Amino acid sequence: MEFLSRTQVIVAFGALALAVYVLDLVRRRRLSEEYSFLWVVTSVVIALLGFSTPLLRGITRALGMRFESSTVFALGLAFAVAALLYLSIKMSRLSHENQVLAREIALLRWRLEQSGPPQGGA
Amino acid sequence: MKILVVIPALDEEESLPRTLDETRAVASGYDLLVIDDGSRDHTAAVARAHGVHVVSHPFNLGVGAAMQTGFRWALEQGYDIAVQLDADGQHDPRDLDALVAPVVAGACEVSIGSRYVASSGYRAPRLRRAGMMLFSWIVRAALGQRIADTTSGYRAYGRAVMEVCQHEFPKDFPDAPLIIMLARRGFRIVEVPVTMRERSAGTSFYTLGKSLYYPYKNLVASLMAWLQRTP
Repeated sequence: MEFLSRTQVIVAFGALALAVYVLDLVRRRRLSEEYSFLWVVTSVVIALLGFSTPLLRGITRALGMRFESSTVFALGLAFAVAALLYLSIKMSRLSHENQVLAREIALLRWRLEQSGPPQGGA
Repeated sequence: MKILVVIPALDEEESLPRTLDETRAVASGYDLLVIDDGSRDHTAAVARAHGVHVVSHPFNLGVGAAMQTGFRWALEQGYDIAVQLDADGQHDPRDLDALVAPVVAGACEVSIGSRYVASSGYRAPRLRRAGMMLFSWIVRAALGQRIADTTSGYRAYGRAVMEVCQHEFPKDFPDAPLIIMLARRGFRIVEVPVTMRERSAGTSFYTLGKSLYYPYKNLVASLMAWLQRTP
């Protein structure tokens, strides 16, 4: 096994810690499995690259990059772009659904008003 | 034929009474519906005091969404035509008969009250005029049909159009992209000369931020409406 540089070890452990934190967020129901997927996959990939120097070197050569660290940062950046695009798509959909719901509420409220004041009392 | 005038309103408590009174006076054969688009003033109360139906959005959704609510309400209540009339007094209700006439006659499914078909005395600011010319050109390129006033909100929609638009309608700026989308679905569109006036009071849907976003959004949406497959 080739000697791992300090940076590689830090990046790898950082990525693993992130994966653990993301899974813990899922456990505490603060993050859904769906949204955790991209984070966990990316963290594991970064961790693997951190721990495996030959793999990182191979990918770096294949991508035509000079430094291993550039590969790690490029992959991180690719992840960030993918995550942001994914969130934008989700947000557009949520915003549309939110609007449909608000319009539905407005029409239901109108119908309620037409049916007169609520019957109640003791 | 049942015709509904849909009045989207955002903080229009000052100008709405005049618009409602005037519309009732000069166009008595039309039912009125005010869509209160999340106003913070007494727009809804003012409209109710005038005895018209009011549907209130829980928060501001934009003029497009207000029209969609109007379309849905009109369809549920069995209306054949819905006309958009601005609450701020820019649209002259005396033009209502002329505007709905081609839709009533079955000559088209959408009629647009246009400032440029005949001389109406309206003169838009230079930048706005340039935008109108650009989008008019885009519509012509996409459809091969000249629509002089793509930005006019004073329009009459037939029932078949309302069926489509209750689900699919631009959230904001329902201008050139909407015209392209409707024409590509086979709906016939005609322009009718109308008079436009200065807004009397209230808040315009078109703020400074939106006017910067407007050209981008309309360009992209027009292109997409042109490219999208029609169902």
